[in-house]
Amino acid sequence: MSTDEPSKTSEHHGHEHHEVEGPGYPTPAAMRTESEREKTAFVMGLRVGMDVDEPDFVGVVDVDPESETYAELIDTIEMPNKGDELHHFGWNSCSSSCHAEGLMRDHLIVPGQRSSRIHVIDASDPRDASIEKVIEPEEVFEHDLSAPHTVHCVPGGKIVISMLGNADGELPGGFLQLDQDDFSIDGHWEVDRGDMEMNYDYWYQPRHGVMLSTEWAAPETYYPGFDLDDVEAGKYGDSIHVWDWETKEHQQTLTFGEEGLIPLEIRMPHNPEETEGYVGAALSSNIIRFWEGDGGHWEWETVIDVEDREHPDWDMPVPGLVTDTLLSLDDQYLFFSNWLHGDVRMYDVSDTGNPRLVDQCWVGGNFGDRQEVAGHEVRGAPQMLQLSRDGRRLYWTTSLFSSWDNQFYPDIGEEGSLMMKADVYPEEGRMELDEDFVVDFGDAPGGPARAHEIRWPGGDCTSDVWQ
Amino acid sequence: MGHEVTLVWRDGREATIEVANGESVIDATEREGLGVPFGCLYGACGTCTGRLIEGDLVHVERPRGLKPSHRNEGYVLLCVAEPRSDCRVEVGATVQADLVPNPWK
Ligand code: FES
Repeated sequence: MSTDEPSKTSEHHGHEHHEVEGPGYPTPAAMRTESEREKTAFVMGLRVGMDVDEPDFVGVVDVDPESETYAELIDTIEMPNKGDELHHFGWNSCSSSCHAEGLMRDHLIVPGQRSSRIHVIDASDPRDASIEKVIEPEEVFEHDLSAPHTVHCVPGGKIVISMLGNADGELPGGFLQLDQDDFSIDGHWEVDRGDMEMNYDYWYQPRHGVMLSTEWAAPETYYPGFDLDDVEAGKYGDSIHVWDWETKEHQQTLTFGEEGLIPLEIRMPHNPEETEGYVGAALSSNIIRFWEGDGGHWEWETVIDVEDREHPDWDMPVPGLVTDTLLSLDDQYLFFSNWLHGDVRMYDVSDTGNPRLVDQCWVGGNFGDRQEVAGHEVRGAPQMLQLSRDGRRLYWTTSLFSSWDNQFYPDIGEEGSLMMKADVYPEEGRMELDEDFVVDFGDAPGGPARAHEIRWPGGDCTSDVWQ
Repeated sequence: MGHEVTLVWRDGREATIEVANGESVIDATEREGLGVPFGCLYGACGTCTGRLIEGDLVHVERPRGLKPSHRNEGYVLLCVAEPRSDCRVEVGATVQADLVPNPWK
């Protein structure tokens, strides 16, 4: 599947070494080089924590420069209920099921982080998507889980969602497994949680039978807002967990302490041979590299340390707050956002243990000079990132989480947030803000909205895993 | 018979609604289409935070999204709160934002 045209069963990958047709691409290089430019973006639009009496929506943004509606929000798929706080979402199947016949990448799994409601959207035609099924919170609570987060399709016809809380929004959470055919709940994915007490994001490398998960906090802790007292009380995560992907048992905990407070997004290389990766520790504002050492024991080191900055009007030095990280499909570049500072950074990670800062783009935030793009005031700062498959366009949105937005960038709660873009020149190792591309979610139909995660029909850098 | 709850927004808007016995304030505001913010609907997330100005409003489930100090200051979680008398309550998204200020500022 190379474009975001409506999906067909008989699409070609153009690969001889590949007998069974599935929904993805046989290799990350195939996705990077054979796919067409993204034409449509699915972008979460949220109304939680705003005085806008409308539900959240999945927005459809036209990113085809040839189109008359380029850089416009051309459709919104409204949720049936209010208060969901749609956060991260994923596909029913991806490149990890590339060799599985009969599957299509045609459904989006869209969880509500606050409501614990899970929506299944039929997105076989990206410009005419609709809700197909809704799993109500009560069905999720029955498994003593709440606060769904990362959605990955996994081999074997399943979808696994990391869940941050138990049915009461307290620790420990776990992983919910859905069936790929009818989207019914199977139950927990994990068979032994070991000493995992908190959950957030996860990534897996099926070739090595390993999965790694990260830690935010209990929903009841992070839902109301960010409080340093909770950090001092040890209520926020500082560890990641290694799981046996086959037996579904917890294997090892890597504890970072002060160096790795609030480890959020975790990314492993797209090359399925690799047994290493990076995690962005939001509060410590470090990028930590981890790898499998001798005897299957995992190790870690801090490879990037974002310095706190003094703000003239604030009492304490301000961390960058690394909220999203992303690896290009060729695994050469690592991008991450510093949501409190207001920049997005690009590192060359060809030498994985020695990331080299190659470029940085400042816009919005508490420190950036540039607070306006194409006549639109930037509310918030670079946050959720998505890179085009060919690695030449980096898009981002500026909202983090409703209650945290309201603390740090209250304008977002009143006027909505934005989607922006930088052009990336991988050969030269640089990027440049596209001063003409702005999608202002302040103008969303029905009232302002917060823009959050971005996905391309046809797959992207943060949803596809290769077997 | 329920109780009358007057909702007061910071922009000066007011609305009075009847909240039935056994009904949460949020359920009543939704029934009336008043658009008071909410999220989890079980007292954990704080999105529905209001501030009690007058009257008797009780939490029927533990309001986990509020710290003891917030409760002392009169903040209430309207998704798990039921009136026991006529009340006046300050509502709207900015009330929740009062709970946890920017810790670096
Ligand atoms: S809606 Fe979450 S606490 Fe009321």
